[in-house]
Amino acid sequence: MKRSVPVLIVFLVGVLVLATYFIESPGLKQVGSMLNNWGVIITAFAVGLACVNIIRIHAAHIANQRTGWINSAVLLITMFLFIIVGIYSRNNPSNEGAAELFSNLFNYAYSPFSATMYAMIAFYVASASYRAFRMRSVEATLLLAAAILVMLGNAPIAEQLWNQFPVIGSWLLTVINTTGQRGIAIGVAIGGFATSLRILLGFDRGHLGIGD
Amino acid sequence: MWLERLQNIDRRVIYVVLFVALLIPMLKPIGIPLTVNPTTQQVYDLIESLDPETDIVMIGMDYSAAGSADVHPQAVAVAKHLANRGIKSIMVAFVEDGPMLAERVLKSLGDRVVYGEDIVNLGYLAGGESAVKKFIEQPATTFTRDHRGTPVANLPIMKNIKDINDITLIMDFQTGAPGYQEYLRQLPPGGPLYGVGIVTVSVPNVMPYLNSGQFAGLLPGLRGGAEYEVLLGEPGEGLARMDAQSLGHLVIIAFIVVGNVAYFASQRKEKKAKG
Amino acid sequence: MIQGTYFVLGTFIVLGVITIGMLLATRSGKVTPKIRRIPALDSIEEAVGRATEMGRPVHFSPGYGEITTSTAPQTFASLDVLGYVVALTARYNTQLIVTCKSPQSFPMIQELVRESYSAAGKPDMFQEDTVRFISEAQFAWAAGVLGIFNREKVAANIMVGYFMAESLLFAEGGAQVGAIQVAGTGNLAQTAFFVAACDYTLIGEELYAGGAYLSQDTSKVGNLAGQDIVKLLTIAFIILGTILATAGSTWLVELSKM
Repeated sequence: MKRSVPVLIVFLVGVLVLATYFIESPGLKQVGSMLNNWGVIITAFAVGLACVNIIRIHAAHIANQRTGWINSAVLLITMFLFIIVGIYSRNNPSNEGAAELFSNLFNYAYSPFSATMYAMIAFYVASASYRAFRMRSVEATLLLAAAILVMLGNAPIAEQLWNQFPVIGSWLLTVINTTGQRGIAIGVAIGGFATSLRILLGFDRGHLGIGD
Repeated sequence: MWLERLQNIDRRVIYVVLFVALLIPMLKPIGIPLTVNPTTQQVYDLIESLDPETDIVMIGMDYSAAGSADVHPQAVAVAKHLANRGIKSIMVAFVEDGPMLAERVLKSLGDRVVYGEDIVNLGYLAGGESAVKKFIEQPATTFTRDHRGTPVANLPIMKNIKDINDITLIMDFQTGAPGYQEYLRQLPPGGPLYGVGIVTVSVPNVMPYLNSGQFAGLLPGLRGGAEYEVLLGEPGEGLARMDAQSLGHLVIIAFIVVGNVAYFASQRKEKKAKG
Repeated sequence: MIQGTYFVLGTFIVLGVITIGMLLATRSGKVTPKIRRIPALDSIEEAVGRATEMGRPVHFSPGYGEITTSTAPQTFASLDVLGYVVALTARYNTQLIVTCKSPQSFPMIQELVRESYSAAGKPDMFQEDTVRFISEAQFAWAAGVLGIFNREKVAANIMVGYFMAESLLFAEGGAQVGAIQVAGTGNLAQTAFFVAACDYTLIGEELYAGGAYLSQDTSKVGNLAGQDIVKLLTIAFIILGTILATAGSTWLVELSKM
């Protein structure tokens, strides 16, 4: 019962939403739209539940003065600051001060921090490729050569050295890369289809827990 | 010993050298010439072919603040092009950061556009692919207010939009999900053209879609934005960062070459020692 | 019926019949497909064993963890692997840390881990911070996970699921703390980063083979065999289309637009 009812719900909802793709019916469209909206609402509640988990874990860190509890305090303060300012400014659009504060929090705190984390990828690419791209075998050499040629194809300075670098880089991307990507993408799509069908039809119940 | 060291350079050294290589051209631009790729030209020509009297463009602001360094220059350049040509556009976001980044784009347009008549920032719609599906099915009624709180019914630009076929082109700037796959699944056959501005790392992934014609155009990462600025004749952030990108690439290649030269030299040395 | 969907529906039915048919045939014993060796999945036990020897935790990430988007199959595939990892950590008494990005899947993952530990006879191993929700914002999540790597000094890092730009941050961050790393994702752009920075990588649909390979569950093995038959049909379709297109015929293209 504990697992049969969720499986039945998944099946019915899945079939209904799938049907909206194939069958032209205003009633069905309305049902599909309603289910879509319910999904959005459930997500919102899930966010709330996740926030509770964050608060419980980090409040415990602060209460027990565990190593790094200052970080937990900063996290909770920042979280509540964004939540309060965001909700207030959204519900009071005429309050320019609140709107400006939220805008500043986004532009001068959240945005630079996010961009910094993203920028770290550039440095990690450098260290990872230095470590990984060694000509230990024929395949590794091909990988290395392709990587260097594509990088040179993208860098304007390389064009000044030899104007064929962009042509070669583009050929590698549009011919060699595309064929490989297509093959793997088809395989991944088929795998996703089979997994989804298995879950929809109730053959896979592992995510519902163990036991009846 | 040197060969061993060159094969195991401390990653902090790599980071410092790369940081310096990126910083110098940002402070003192070199001005390396940039040629325009056919993919960027294709997007430019597509927007040049639009009719300001009848065509409306939807600008998908689906990139995050993190990836904005890569994609924001593209969005600004395309928005400027649309504004210069007098083509009306609506900005929609299915990513939380989208509306704030749309405001940044609007700020860069300055007096070229009249908000509400030429362009509007409708805001963010939560729900991922469900939200994309909902907007495509009901573009006129999905949003009741724009991001600034103005009722949509009071916005002149929205009076021309009854269904998705009133939109000629969707130019979607994205860093992740929802992205091109969600749009392609939801757009009706014979509906608006779909063009994409995407982060550099995803370009190899999306080439099959460009080759098959599912994309009407593709702007590839920071370089795409820089090339668009060249076509527009308005240098901006994209071009300013290309020098840094060039030097960054060269530094990475240099370290790879050094590592491999040291590796081969040490292999030769070992073979000689063995006789 | 909506115009332009006949071919899609027909394909859906045919492919569905094949995959589920193989699943049922394998379950009933009519066929016994075999899965080839997948080194990345074999290495998971090695990774957990290494963490046990070093007395340091194992980290598991199911990636974006979304269960309502098109990446949901990758999340469910990662949960199969997670169940196996929980069983291993229970057997070896090794600490496990599971970090989540998605608030939707967080309760499901929490319950899965709790029940897996109970089933292994080690309910006390499940603590409140065994499964941690970090953040729904991509790079806040990345920063949180990197912080865990450095503070908790994880010895094994298993990343299976849908990943995006943070993949290299995790892989390189794990390499910096000396963790043995096993990774797999269906996002092709990130597979390259995993290959460069991790010790073992699942490529493409090997991710979906995880559950079948590790559990040898007949339903999953049969489903996997069905996928392979569908792939063969797809290859035949591509060859046929290439021949027809070369001969100047658009018949197959028109059929696919029906």
